Amino acid sequence: MQPVTSSVSSSVKPKSKLWKSISTHRYLYMMLLPCVIFFLIFSYIPLGGLLMAFKDYKFNAGILGSPWVGLKYFEAFFNSYEAKQLIRNTLIISGIKLFLYLPFPIILALMFNEIRSKWFKNFSQSILYLPHFLSWVVVMGLTQRILAPDTGLLNEIIAKLGGDGSTFYMMEANYFYQVMFSSFVWKSIGWDSIIYMAAIAGVSPDLYEAAKIDGASKLREIWHITLPSIAPTVVILFILSLGSILSAGFDQIYMLRTPGNMHLADILDTYIIKVGLQQGQYGYATAVGMMQGIIGFILVILANRISRKVSDTSLW
Amino acid sequence: MGNEFYKLSVGEKALKFINYMLIIALCLSIVLPFLNILALAFNAGKDAESGGIYFWPRVWSLENFEKVFESTNIASAFGVSIFRTVVGTFAGVLLTAMAAYALKSKTLPGNKFFMMFIFFTMLFSGGIIPTYMLYKSLHLLDNIWIYVLPGLYSAWNLIIFRTFFQQIHVSLEESARIDGYNDFSIFWKIVLPLSRPVIAVIALFTAVGHWNDWFTGAFYIRSEELRPLSTLLQEMLLSAEALRDTLTEAAGVANYERLAKIQVTANSLKMATIIVVVTPIILVYPFVQRHFAKGAMIGSIKE
Repeated sequence: MQPVTSSVSSSVKPKSKLWKSISTHRYLYMMLLPCVIFFLIFSYIPLGGLLMAFKDYKFNAGILGSPWVGLKYFEAFFNSYEAKQLIRNTLIISGIKLFLYLPFPIILALMFNEIRSKWFKNFSQSILYLPHFLSWVVVMGLTQRILAPDTGLLNEIIAKLGGDGSTFYMMEANYFYQVMFSSFVWKSIGWDSIIYMAAIAGVSPDLYEAAKIDGASKLREIWHITLPSIAPTVVILFILSLGSILSAGFDQIYMLRTPGNMHLADILDTYIIKVGLQQGQYGYATAVGMMQGIIGFILVILANRISRKVSDTSLW
Repeated sequence: MGNEFYKLSVGEKALKFINYMLIIALCLSIVLPFLNILALAFNAGKDAESGGIYFWPRVWSLENFEKVFESTNIASAFGVSIFRTVVGTFAGVLLTAMAAYALKSKTLPGNKFFMMFIFFTMLFSGGIIPTYMLYKSLHLLDNIWIYVLPGLYSAWNLIIFRTFFQQIHVSLEESARIDGYNDFSIFWKIVLPLSRPVIAVIALFTAVGHWNDWFTGAFYIRSEELRPLSTLLQEMLLSAEALRDTLTEAAGVANYERLAKIQVTANSLKMATIIVVVTPIILVYPFVQRHFAKGAMIGSIKE
């Protein structure tokens, strides 16, 4: 008897303490409650909706009532003639954005770091940050116009210089990667350089002084002091961005897609929208999206672990 | 600074010069396309077809703007954009800050669990189709509140707010509590006023996000009059059909004779619409630009 009563009394005591604590925090709970309900509805219910990936969704039966189909949709996707091309396109485009793009904002930050004139620096930075705040719709509107055949700005200039001037850049598959990459750099480079500039500002001036005494040139200073000092920042940012390798940037690619470059510009995101929202193959599109999500999730977890090991910094 | 320059070697001077030139070239690559679009928007459409317009209109005309406002839903689209930006930003920032303040409290029972509960949604989501199904069952499809409701809370902003609130000195809150304030009035009267900088940054980013979002209007909305500006522009850019309708509308119903007379073209209408969409951002940008740059740093502290 003895042990039981003692265990009851000891379990009641913290419980009443808990209740007391909950009631003293009642205002905080009231402030938190709508938030919890929100995420429950708008994030967790769609997670439950992933069941659709394994079901033959019937409108009348609802998600729970529809019959199971197992892994049919996953098999169908990997057996489809499009799968290979979609995955390849997605990896190429996001690969370009992750790897090829990486040095660009770093170089811009190094360039800004050499500017001594304060007003010139502020002024040019203001201009270079601006595209970050425009939507891809606007950026693609500009791009379409500047690259238009004959009357577009680029073609006019080429014609003035004695060139052909009738190239339809947006339609020709040959130019797809160039247009995709340059519009991406145009939109992001200024903004992305901010974080590297902060890292450069954190480098100890003593190091530069020492280098100056040793007679190091500017370029050697950058190579031997600045770059090694900001390397941890670069590594972390890069590792963290790996999680997005299967999403190549829906907005830009959707706007950039034309009949001429479709075989290069069809990516997983545009495919999901096409088969899901436009053709109504809900279960199938959910399965493709789920596969994309799971791979992204695993990559983020892995990246975070590596980042913690390599640099002692991590997202959580 | 001048003296310093003369001390540099020739190579370093050249490097410096190239550096300035490259940055100027980059800036021009941003400014010139805008000037080009601006010139085209203010130039008579049919005249622009013959090319040769760079940074100044050749035949001035306001017809492009007139026709855009007459023959598209741009006025109502403007209204929708303003509505969602104002209401969505105000409600979203306030609610997210409130929840972040509650989660800041280390003594709150369940604090860790709730943080994980929210953080997980950043890593894994149901994706587009299950979300679509949810909106459908909530009757949010083709409903103006779809622009506001799903954006009321943002896990990312919540974490930024929480980090900021944690830096506010506890003694302020303690002394307020002695004065008889409850948690809500502490948040409202003490924490919010102290957090103006972070609120400004997050409100600005939220507002830009609302203004620029075209996806919701394109895929979850059917009624023409419920589409925001950016969706309207997106449709004009991608669908030749939408443009042809606009042009016929501009000429009067399928009146081909008048169609031949009007000076606007598909391209000139697009240019005018781009100008209408970006003008609010460009006008506000110089004033808030500093906050934005600060915002990039706030985001990076998390990382």
